[in-house]
Amino acid sequence: MKPLTINFRSKAAQTIVDEQVQNSLEHVYTGFYQGRLNAAADTPNWEELRTKGKAIKDHTIAHLDHYLDMLSGKVEENGGTVFFADNADEARQYITKLAKDRDIATVIKAKSMVSEEMSLAENMNDAGFEAVETDLGEYIIQLAGETPYHLIAPAVHKSRKDVADLLDKDFTDGDRVPDATELTMLAREQLRDVFARADMSVTGVNFAVAESGSIVLVTNEGNGRMSTSVPRIHVAVMGMEKIVPSIQDLSTMLRILIRSATGQRISTYVTMVNGPKTPDEEEGPDEFHLVIMNNGRHKLLRDPLLRESLNCIRCGACLNACPVYRKVGGHAYGWVYPGPIGAIVTPVITGLKDASDLPAASSLCGACHEACPVKINIPRMLLELRHRTAEGLSDPNERTSKFSERAIWKAWRIGMMGRGRFDWGARIGYLFMRPFSINGWMKKAPPPISGWTLSRDFPLIARESLKSRLNRRHKKDV
Amino acid sequence: MTDKVSFIKQVTKALGRSKMIRPTENYATAIFDDRHLASANAVQAVTDADSMSASLIEQMVQSADEAGWKVHRTDNFEESAELIVSICKDHNANSVLRSAHSVLTDIPLDSALTASGAVLEVTEHSSESSIQQIQKSKSAAFRADVGITGVDYAVAETGTVVLHPRAGVSRLLSLAPPTHIAVLRPGDVLASLDELFAIQRDDFLNGELQGSMNLISGPSKTADIEGTTVTGIHGPLEVHLIIIENNKS
Repeated sequence: MKPLTINFRSKAAQTIVDEQVQNSLEHVYTGFYQGRLNAAADTPNWEELRTKGKAIKDHTIAHLDHYLDMLSGKVEENGGTVFFADNADEARQYITKLAKDRDIATVIKAKSMVSEEMSLAENMNDAGFEAVETDLGEYIIQLAGETPYHLIAPAVHKSRKDVADLLDKDFTDGDRVPDATELTMLAREQLRDVFARADMSVTGVNFAVAESGSIVLVTNEGNGRMSTSVPRIHVAVMGMEKIVPSIQDLSTMLRILIRSATGQRISTYVTMVNGPKTPDEEEGPDEFHLVIMNNGRHKLLRDPLLRESLNCIRCGACLNACPVYRKVGGHAYGWVYPGPIGAIVTPVITGLKDASDLPAASSLCGACHEACPVKINIPRMLLELRHRTAEGLSDPNERTSKFSERAIWKAWRIGMMGRGRFDWGARIGYLFMRPFSINGWMKKAPPPISGWTLSRDFPLIARESLKSRLNRRHKKDV
Repeated sequence: MTDKVSFIKQVTKALGRSKMIRPTENYATAIFDDRHLASANAVQAVTDADSMSASLIEQMVQSADEAGWKVHRTDNFEESAELIVSICKDHNANSVLRSAHSVLTDIPLDSALTASGAVLEVTEHSSESSIQQIQKSKSAAFRADVGITGVDYAVAETGTVVLHPRAGVSRLLSLAPPTHIAVLRPGDVLASLDELFAIQRDDFLNGELQGSMNLISGPSKTADIEGTTVTGIHGPLEVHLIIIENNKS
């Protein structure tokens, strides 16, 4: 998928004034956010589970090479085929060539963010295959020709009327808009026909188990199960970080993933696949392919300050918790992964230069850190990325801060380094600000700080410091 | 094209190492638990399922209900067969498909269903697994009005029915028909996901891991249209859990 991170500001501005989308985003907030809080409250050892989940992921990522080696060996031992893809193009070409070689006509796709990185469905359709998204939200998005809005609720911004028009223009009868049940049943019928003729499936992977070569899929709809039951070829695609070492680790990881994603105790379907169908089974894929993709993830891995972002299990809890995401929506972020975690992953993978607005779009309130099931310290990494853009640390040519800005902060730093300087600086500051202030607030500053006051007011520095007032009072008392 | 060796080498390099090292023991992941511990955990899980079956059933009834199962409790085989027939009748089921689970032959199900006028098919493995055979099995599942299975394990924590697809228990049987009925006997209910995966891990270490596993917790559902929950997007619209409590015949 081509990154459009450069358009963050204009997309965000568009979304903020779109009343319908604002209403839908409110759904995300109340539904998922409250659901997660309730689920956490109902789980007596919730914090213990989060700590354990973090420890499992920390360990796995620290030994990712070892576990990738183990996983791929086991998948092959189980009769599957493993393909390592350095980037999205390689992964897409492998899958497309496989489909060509096997004479495939129809491909069913279950939800997978990794496949979005390769714009797989779109590309396969262009290549002459019938590639259909089967997650209802993704299906709607595909019909609309858009990209997903949310990690787990891709069509959250579409109204019933939008959906009705997309599914079947003739379905709507006069002014009456069909309800969600009618629309879902219509989609069921349409997708059943597709399932019946599908000969290949592409799914994501929620967890890949290194010791046994198993992959685990979590869905509420059942399209993940259809994908592992109907077609003769199953291709699972995963980012290389999606590993857990042991089967036993799944109980912890599933608990925190599902509760954080939807607030459920468990999703309707959890499917564990350990290779192609067994010889005594009638249905199930004859071929199982696992595509393990890097696509820039090594840049996060080699960076000690950002490595933690690879612990992400893609539950979407940080999106639901984020006051910025809840206003600007998913498309503003311009690539596959929106929200707070996307603001770290996207700039590093697609380039910080065009994506420098993403880490800046945060109030650093810490709600994402609090919500994360594996305790990823997102605000710390957002600050780190801001620091790097401002100072041009990853590429001096990409430095975003102006000379004047740096000079101000330098002066600030010097001023804060001693009591005497502080008092002196505060005095200068007061004298400088007074002509521009009204009722104790500076609302419009002169250049070079005029940019700062465009969206904020600055309180006038007090004429006298607290310390000096206290000193004066103390003298009086004595 | 990237080969495995260079792919993994790049990961090693990104980790700041010159060559891959074996991880030292870490107590967060169970991969370092040895075979004896894994086996003891699995034995404990099965023992508990048996010795605490009464309280686990109570917990299962509650969480299955919360997950969206329609739960029925009976205390004998005849009654459960009648129950199944009446569910099939409620849905005007012409075509009923059942798995080869032994619990379904213990109860007088086939005779009761046939007497009610439904066409009953049993999924069994035919030795010639031809393309025609596979196609036939698939279309039978898509055509059926009701699918009936036993339960390999249940999980009380989550209201989950666990099925391992195999000969006689097809993958689509519990998914494609609009109604799924699962028949559970006491003693098969595990306390939580911990116990379920303890058993899976022990099976794996003994080289006995099944080809796949489905955890089913209620009807197929979606909330992708305006956040409204609707059941039956791809899988069953309605799921029934029949618990035979005393095995009395």
